[in-house]
Amino acid sequence: MATENRINFWRRNAKVPGRYHKDTKPNFNNLKTKKASSFHEFARSTNDAWDIDDEEEDDFLGTPAPTLSLHPTSTHNQCTQQQLQNLADDTDTGMMHPPTKGQHLQDVQEEDGDCEHLNGKFVKSSSEADLNMSSVRSSLQKQQSLPVRPIIPLVARISDQNASGAPPMTVREKSRLDKFKQLLASPNTDLEELRKHSWSGIPREVRPITWRLLSGYLPANKERRELVLKRKREEYFGFIEQYYHSRTDEHYKDTYRQIHIDIPRTNPLIPLFQQPAVQEVFERILFIWAIRHPASGYVQGINDLVTPFFVVFLSEFVTEDMENFEVAALPLETQRNIEADSFWCMSKLLDGIQDNYTFAQPGIQNKVKALEELVSRIDEDVHNHFKKYEVEYLQFAFRWMNNLLMRELPLRCTIRLWDTYQAEAEGFSHFHLYVCAAFLIEWRKEILSMVDFQGLLMLLQNLPTIHWGNEEVGLLLAEAYRLKYMFADAPSHYKR
Amino acid sequence: METIWLYQFRLIVIGDSTVGKSCLIRRFTEGRFAQVSDPTVGVDFFSRLVEIEPGKRIKLQIWDTAGQERFRSITRAYYRNSVGGLLLFDITNRRSFQNVHNWLEEAQSHVQPHSIVFLLVGHKCDLEAQRQVTQQEAEKLAGAYGMRYVETSARDAINVEKAFVDLTRDIFELVRSGDIKIQDGWEGVKSGFVPNTVHSSEEVTKGGRQCFC
Repeated sequence: MATENRINFWRRNAKVPGRYHKDTKPNFNNLKTKKASSFHEFARSTNDAWDIDDEEEDDFLGTPAPTLSLHPTSTHNQCTQQQLQNLADDTDTGMMHPPTKGQHLQDVQEEDGDCEHLNGKFVKSSSEADLNMSSVRSSLQKQQSLPVRPIIPLVARISDQNASGAPPMTVREKSRLDKFKQLLASPNTDLEELRKHSWSGIPREVRPITWRLLSGYLPANKERRELVLKRKREEYFGFIEQYYHSRTDEHYKDTYRQIHIDIPRTNPLIPLFQQPAVQEVFERILFIWAIRHPASGYVQGINDLVTPFFVVFLSEFVTEDMENFEVAALPLETQRNIEADSFWCMSKLLDGIQDNYTFAQPGIQNKVKALEELVSRIDEDVHNHFKKYEVEYLQFAFRWMNNLLMRELPLRCTIRLWDTYQAEAEGFSHFHLYVCAAFLIEWRKEILSMVDFQGLLMLLQNLPTIHWGNEEVGLLLAEAYRLKYMFADAPSHYKR
Repeated sequence: METIWLYQFRLIVIGDSTVGKSCLIRRFTEGRFAQVSDPTVGVDFFSRLVEIEPGKRIKLQIWDTAGQERFRSITRAYYRNSVGGLLLFDITNRRSFQNVHNWLEEAQSHVQPHSIVFLLVGHKCDLEAQRQVTQQEAEKLAGAYGMRYVETSARDAINVEKAFVDLTRDIFELVRSGDIKIQDGWEGVKSGFVPNTVHSSEEVTKGGRQCFC
């Protein structure tokens, strides 16, 4: 049933850009004859489609079609681990758009295209490659089916914020960045347009300001921004002055104690977060938020949610090796601005999901139930497999909801994920459910191969995402979007 | 191949936040001490096989629970299907000792109609200099509730095996004597496979420290 749905989705929906029909694009080489049964297969089978699309878009943008030749082979082999990291992480290459906008879903392939695997090494290809190099490409294609991937070390997981070692920007990336800059520079930023572009990933350079705008912290009106920032930052430090001393009061000392013991345990493997200056920032943000929201107070998991904001806002001032950057070396005012902005953006996020953290955590309970219901419809095999071995969704998905998948994914992936969550209406509170479903189904093969409760639970608690980057997140989001489209926005598509 | 075991016991590990529940379980199931670990949210699952007598193996399924109050609505669902429990406090944190009573009440009110065999664990006993709870008073409290008491350290691997194995033996005796019965729809105790080859104990690691998950 699930498989059939997937096929139908791609075949029938003419509006959704999918594959080119063979008859209209007879020169579409390398198209596998096997029918795609999932988005992933579809993606793989149309792996070269972006080339054509890329050309079209470049034309459309009035940019001369690139006449670049393939990089010398020696360059390919010089790809370092750092470059791999940056390649994999650079959102500028993540060009997936929500399919409704009539954009070409082949764009997804850019994620593959910009960095293809060759015996475990990466080559720069895609838009810069000579389109005539079909023999090279077909050999890449073969290699690509191999599951050889470099392992990206955990401690390097926020390197995507680094500028050093980044590959030169492609024409497409440049035009994409220009589009963001243009939107951001206009007297009144068109937030709808900004969301549309952000959905497929925000370029690193403009991510901090884009996040501030999308979260509703910063106004669309450019003239007012400076003033609003000044006022909100002052307001936050007003809270600190007014309330922070109360952390030793009888009434609040338990809250503070819990925060105080959790902070050193937050991102424990990244040196940045072991710095006293950084830990104090986290303590203040969490304490102020907790006492201003007594219905939930501080709940473990919320501490994780500060991290992406802090890292993104810090990235404006750090060009390399952020994991070891000495935050105390920044001007005090800069430190304070990062702190205040992180507080407000985190508050905006939590406003949408506060019922995850109130008494009995109804938000989470409901979402886990919804996840179960959704999975029972999209993948009966997995659902029945869980039933057979008495695995309950709450046993593994509670954490997925409580920590927004942050415990399951490397930090660089969370940051990319949040680009989309902030671009989606109700991204954190609603779209996250579909992302969780897509994430679960991602592992269906592994799940179905486990034939006891214990094996299943151990797998689900330790899903191997350590190597994940933008490519995987992009595909995950596309699948989540498809699920949302089929099962929520157009429920009639589903007939049980 | 399927590991051979006589019984499967489900255990629950409870106690205040940061008394070291996850570290103790990791030491027991993985044989290592994690210097740093994220706070547990909700419930995590672990498993290990123990040999209580030569050739007699018990599979332990262990639920590691979050200590923070807000997660009680989640964690309390796990009492019912547990046959045994380790109730931890931190010997350097008096408050965590004072809360032992509350934890027992919490457990007892949610385990009905079953019951749980508890072991009281004074954890972090390597930090002798910071001790706030004496061994005598902990033993006295444990005695009052009919529990065993043991002091452990995950860091220095003191009594970690002992804590789990003693509890397992106690439960095993109760099962053997019929005081604890296997029941349909109850996950606390399950009967395992007892083929003829059960006498061979070669698959069980000597130190009993291997994770069979």
